Amino acid sequence: MAILEEPIKEILMVKNYIGGEWVESKGELIDVVNPATCKVIAKVPISTKDELDEAVKAAKKAFPEWRKTPPLARARCLFRLKQLMEERFEELSRIQTMEHGKTIDESRGETRRGIENVEVATGIPSLMMGYNLEDVAFGIDEYVIRQPLGVFGIIGPFNFPFMVPLWFAPYAVATGNCIIIKPSSEDPISQMKVAEMVEEAGFPPGVWNVVNGGRTVVSAMLEHPDIVGICFVGSTPVARDVIYKKCGETGKRVIAQGGAKNFLLVMPDADLERTIAACMTSFYGNTGQRCLSGANLVIVGEGLGEHEYNQFYKKVVNAFVDAASKIRVGYGLDETVQMGPLRDKEKKERVTRFIETGIKEGAKLTLDGRKVKLVGEWPRDCFLNPTVFEDVTPDMTIGREEIFGPVASIMRARSLDEAIEMIHGNSYGNAASIFTSSGKWARDFRYRVQCGNIGINIGIVAPMAFFPFSGMKQSFFGILHGQGQEAIRFFTESKVVIERWF
Amino acid sequence: MLLNTASAVISFLTKLEEETAKFYADLAQKYPEGKETFTFFSRDNQKNKNMLERAYYGVITDALEACFSFKEGLNPEAYKVETKIAEEASYLDALNIALKMEENIHKAYTDAASLSEALMADVPQTLIKIANKRNERISKLKTLIKG
Repeated sequence: MAILEEPIKEILMVKNYIGGEWVESKGELIDVVNPATCKVIAKVPISTKDELDEAVKAAKKAFPEWRKTPPLARARCLFRLKQLMEERFEELSRIQTMEHGKTIDESRGETRRGIENVEVATGIPSLMMGYNLEDVAFGIDEYVIRQPLGVFGIIGPFNFPFMVPLWFAPYAVATGNCIIIKPSSEDPISQMKVAEMVEEAGFPPGVWNVVNGGRTVVSAMLEHPDIVGICFVGSTPVARDVIYKKCGETGKRVIAQGGAKNFLLVMPDADLERTIAACMTSFYGNTGQRCLSGANLVIVGEGLGEHEYNQFYKKVVNAFVDAASKIRVGYGLDETVQMGPLRDKEKKERVTRFIETGIKEGAKLTLDGRKVKLVGEWPRDCFLNPTVFEDVTPDMTIGREEIFGPVASIMRARSLDEAIEMIHGNSYGNAASIFTSSGKWARDFRYRVQCGNIGINIGIVAPMAFFPFSGMKQSFFGILHGQGQEAIRFFTESKVVIERWF
Repeated sequence: MLLNTASAVISFLTKLEEETAKFYADLAQKYPEGKETFTFFSRDNQKNKNMLERAYYGVITDALEACFSFKEGLNPEAYKVETKIAEEASYLDALNIALKMEENIHKAYTDAASLSEALMADVPQTLIKIANKRNERISKLKTLIKG
């Protein structure tokens, strides 16, 4: 099948967007590489602390007028932004495939998810309303007003370059705050395109800023006294030990989403055909590079005798391995490709090391993704094929740590209780799913499992924009989450007024 | 090459709609006796294309099984349509070619819907809706052929 046309024809120079101006950074330029073709598609600056300071200054300057702008007028900017995103939907999607490597279906899915957050935030006149009660005492009324706080920093991850900053940004500006986004320097093009549309949509200068870069920009954000809150999505060590810690020290609001190790349970009464299709998306979608990816597939023998369980186990494993081995791997702009490359060579090497560790620790390598087979002729630097391990136990490295790649670890559990104990024995608590036809088992699972996002016959438990993106234990640090009503609360202060007239 | 992803299947079906829209537009010019029917079909193809795109682009999310919904895949070779009409072809010949084409397209939609059943939500529903519309065309064309 023909490759869809690439929207990036020549090397793009990514600029910062500060105070409504496209500004060239004084920082060093680094390459943005398409991981499927290994071609340089853009150059992104590693901005300096001074440049971040400039952005904060611009945002702070814009804040007083923007917070006074009626919510309806702010919403109209978002309506225009949504419209522009719809018009450029395909371009935005193909850019994600080029800069990240995901398939075109996945990129379009990401674009839609991002736009949905803009849509939800357009409801700000209703979402931001406070509440009141007359006569809390005789002749005295009391009410709550939600007010914006100032300037927020948003630090995006590489795995969803378009969508993740939009879990926060539309709500932040809708509530009257100003923002500075630092996209991942690995794939910053999507956020540059978003900023172009922000400009066209008529947001006042300084409301929405983008500063590209790395640790220097992040540190400057965390230290800056005029930044009142940080939204971060990335690894657990950074979320916990850097972002959450520093925000605590400096008194900033924080949403810090970390890593994950998600368990998917297959019960004996699961609809196997649909379960396997859902598992393919879960384990191998986005090449396993998402915090909602399935990592451990637990085949549960609740109610089965030894012999029956072994048969059931084999049936699930055979179906899973058969489906995984047929996944077409290649460049995501080929519409028949089902899995793209890892984001870069280092990530592939990291995943490969996990595979080697799995073998050393005694897991059975049933499908070896290191034997790369591609659709089309592409450099193999960043590609792996789907990998499946059997006989994995929760204490093994591959059963315990986040791999962030296309590797499935299959485990055995004789009962639902044992499987839930496995989940609770893991330090992460992002998502967990159960595949079953039993309402009782599903209810038990939903009720007991300590994970932020629970799936029942769902492989990727991605909350819609009007629900919070939850997370527990070592997967989330903070109180309120991104998206929907919780984001509105995060980006506003609840001011209480008690009123009496003499 | 089997079409195994939502993107590939939607592209294939969209192309079918475009090709058949042109086919019917040409027939409408060539055969005045069938102008009304052929023009209606041609315009309806455009509506079908819009429906397909809305169903796909409107609901696709990164969490749905878009890359894995079409099981073993749809074989485009099985639904090849002939849209060329010979210069000397009669109105009846044209109707018979159209009928054969519609039967193929109806099968393409029905098969695509059954492959993706229950995983893509709005997509199979739309595919069935369009398959039903194509079925109505088949009846209409058969009536015209009978005279």
